[in-house]
Amino acid sequence: MGAWYFVFLAYGIVWSAILIYWLTLKRRLARAETELAELCASSEPQANAKT
Amino acid sequence: MAKISQISGKRNGYFGALALVSILLGLYWGLVQAPPDAYQGEVQRIMYLHIPSILTAYLSFFLVFVGSCLYLWKREKRDDILAYSAAEIGVLFTALTIIEGSIWGKPTWGVWWTWDARLTLTAILLLIFAGYLMLRSLTEEENRGASSAAVLGIIGFLDIPLIHMSVYWWRTLHQPPSILRPDKAPWENIAWPLLTPLLLNLAAFLLLYFYLLSLRFRLGEVNEEIKALKLSRDF
Repeated sequence: MGAWYFVFLAYGIVWSAILIYWLTLKRRLARAETELAELCASSEPQANAKT
Repeated sequence: MAKISQISGKRNGYFGALALVSILLGLYWGLVQAPPDAYQGEVQRIMYLHIPSILTAYLSFFLVFVGSCLYLWKREKRDDILAYSAAEIGVLFTALTIIEGSIWGKPTWGVWWTWDARLTLTAILLLIFAGYLMLRSLTEEENRGASSAAVLGIIGFLDIPLIHMSVYWWRTLHQPPSILRPDKAPWENIAWPLLTPLLLNLAAFLLLYFYLLSLRFRLGEVNEEIKALKLSRDF
């Protein structure tokens, strides 16, 4: 195995792992923000009804 | 709140773009522009990932340490979110450091892994903070989980000085530090054609780190807001 094989293996693993983590994080954040927006929207009529 | 989220998202977008440009620059310099090392040849290019990864992991666990100390002292949720976010990203960068080191070790030392003091202590660091993340996800009583994790985060951080000094205290296969040396500045130790891509990649990793941390911190804040809203509804 040539030296470049090890170099590309290392670079490939590192940047793939970081890309996967970034995509997962973005998806988790988007899901949480949607849930928060839905909760806020559904709690506003309740708050108005109480007042 | 939607407006705040929009502004914060836009700022994160600029930060992410800056991180991406620096990563591309670092990749170009590390893989194309930098000459091969006189002794190690092309394999030395792995060091442009390995050193920035571990320094980023050190910074991350330092933030876990600071966040944990502040949480135990002031009991503010923001400090706990900071510690939890930094721990998650720190685990990623530590795991990557071990993988890169292993891939570099095979052609250089002839083995993927050896029970060298520095390698073993780095593996212990990874296990401690993997345990930290498990503790956070498995503890049902949230405040107790945060306090226990804060204590573990502080203890875990104490492994970093041991990792750094291990190459001086024990006879190790791992070479002494190239950047954080007490006796020499980095430019006295590494030739500029090799130091330039290293510093560029370090800057890229730090920018990427703070971008990921800002996203993860925002996720922690949103999750807290959701919990608070659900709790107020139950009452």
